[in-house]
Amino acid sequence: MINAYILINMQPGNVDKAIKEMRKIENLAKISVVAGEYDIVVRAQVKNLEDLLGTTDKIQTIDGVMKTTTQIIEKEIAL
Amino acid sequence: MRIGKKYLLYALVITSSFIAATVTTIDSYISSNYIKNAWAFGFSIFFIGFFTTLLLCIFLSISYNKKSLGSRFIDPSFKRLRFIKKKELKYHLIAGLMNATNTIGYCILISFVYDPSVLLSFSQIVIIYLLLIESFTEKNVPTLAEIQSSIIVTFGAILASISLQGEIDLQSLVIVFIIINPTWAFFSIYQRKLKMIRINGKLNDSINIRFWNVLFSFLFISIIILIWDVLFGSHNLIEGINASIDFFPWIFITMSTTFFAYVLFIRSLGLGSASVNNAIRSSSIIFALPFSLLLASYGLAPFSADPVMLLIKFIGMILIVLGIISFALTIVKAYIFINLKPGYTKKQVMKKIWDIPGVTHVTATAGKYDFIVKVSTRTLVKGYEKIIRKIDEIEEIKTYKWNSVLKDWENI
Repeated sequence: MINAYILINMQPGNVDKAIKEMRKIENLAKISVVAGEYDIVVRAQVKNLEDLLGTTDKIQTIDGVMKTTTQIIEKEIAL
Repeated sequence: MRIGKKYLLYALVITSSFIAATVTTIDSYISSNYIKNAWAFGFSIFFIGFFTTLLLCIFLSISYNKKSLGSRFIDPSFKRLRFIKKKELKYHLIAGLMNATNTIGYCILISFVYDPSVLLSFSQIVIIYLLLIESFTEKNVPTLAEIQSSIIVTFGAILASISLQGEIDLQSLVIVFIIINPTWAFFSIYQRKLKMIRINGKLNDSINIRFWNVLFSFLFISIIILIWDVLFGSHNLIEGINASIDFFPWIFITMSTTFFAYVLFIRSLGLGSASVNNAIRSSSIIFALPFSLLLASYGLAPFSADPVMLLIKFIGMILIVLGIISFALTIVKAYIFINLKPGYTKKQVMKKIWDIPGVTHVTATAGKYDFIVKVSTRTLVKGYEKIIRKIDEIEEIKTYKWNSVLKDWENI
């Protein structure tokens, strides 16, 4: 199982619609709207790198998505 | 389907609270009419409860269109009833012991306090214990707002737990403060730990957690009652077995209803900390009031039409709700994106970041950033004082960017 964060920059005014589209995508465990460097942070859980490519492709085709930055998780400590 | 995490949490906890209020009413009815021996009642709860839970779990494991019924209607993480994993064992042992002890306290209390609104109001003081425990286990130092809210909830609970005759029973207060609330606090925390464990890459499911908890609680309650019987020459175990046989339909009803209250509660524990869950759960006292009136109308619980007593109880309930709202709705979450200076390894910095209070996730990542850290704090001021200042102190960190979470959705 591969876990990754996908950090998304949006064009202004498109966040709500984009969130609706993202909620339909499988493999997205978490979607957060954030304020700061990025507009949306999603956490993807996929079986392999090919699935990750498929997931990022789906995100990039959503209207208003300007740029995605993918961070693959190597190690995690969580509560 | 993904829905707002906060709304899902509220929906789960409030539904669970409503069911819990129903269960308390049924328990109160059983205790006042059928099983007067609290120990025997406690034993029969888990004895019949084990078989009831097993049957329900087998039913929910039935597959329909490649998905089990449990996964479709209760918890998407559930596949089927399965054996316990080694990493779950210690948490189940502690949660089982706590649940068994809590149930004995609850049955003793219910044997002389029949009013569900009093019983449930008493249980809300658990928030104080949870705040204290979480200060240590979840690195979450309570803020002034949390302390204020907890005090409001506690005073509200004390006012709401005054019986309609205006009495406060000291014996019940001792049971509540020494047995029921501390054991419930630990039980909630360990159920949450179990819910957060990943089994085969997926979050643990609430149905299996409930099944194994009932099994371990049954083992512990049997041991506790057996020791008590040997030490004091009582026959609670035999009476418990007899009560289970004689009043099987009643206990079957209460335990099958309890199953859904607990499963929803355990699932909600995966969405928010134990204290936030219990804060919302205190809405059960509002649901309990109509049930108390129902019991009173059948002459099974005390009732007084004295407007002063009713007003005091009502004020208590309002205080609890106010405390809960201010408690549960004030939380700030953020992602911090961190880059390290050249020449330092991620391994040596990861532990330092993890030790910062308020940090809930540290992930070492490959890509533009070296770490993505998730933090949770009550206020932005506390976020600055407790988190940013500590990050500034880590000399290996070159840059960091704080992104506050405005809203999030979780597939759980």
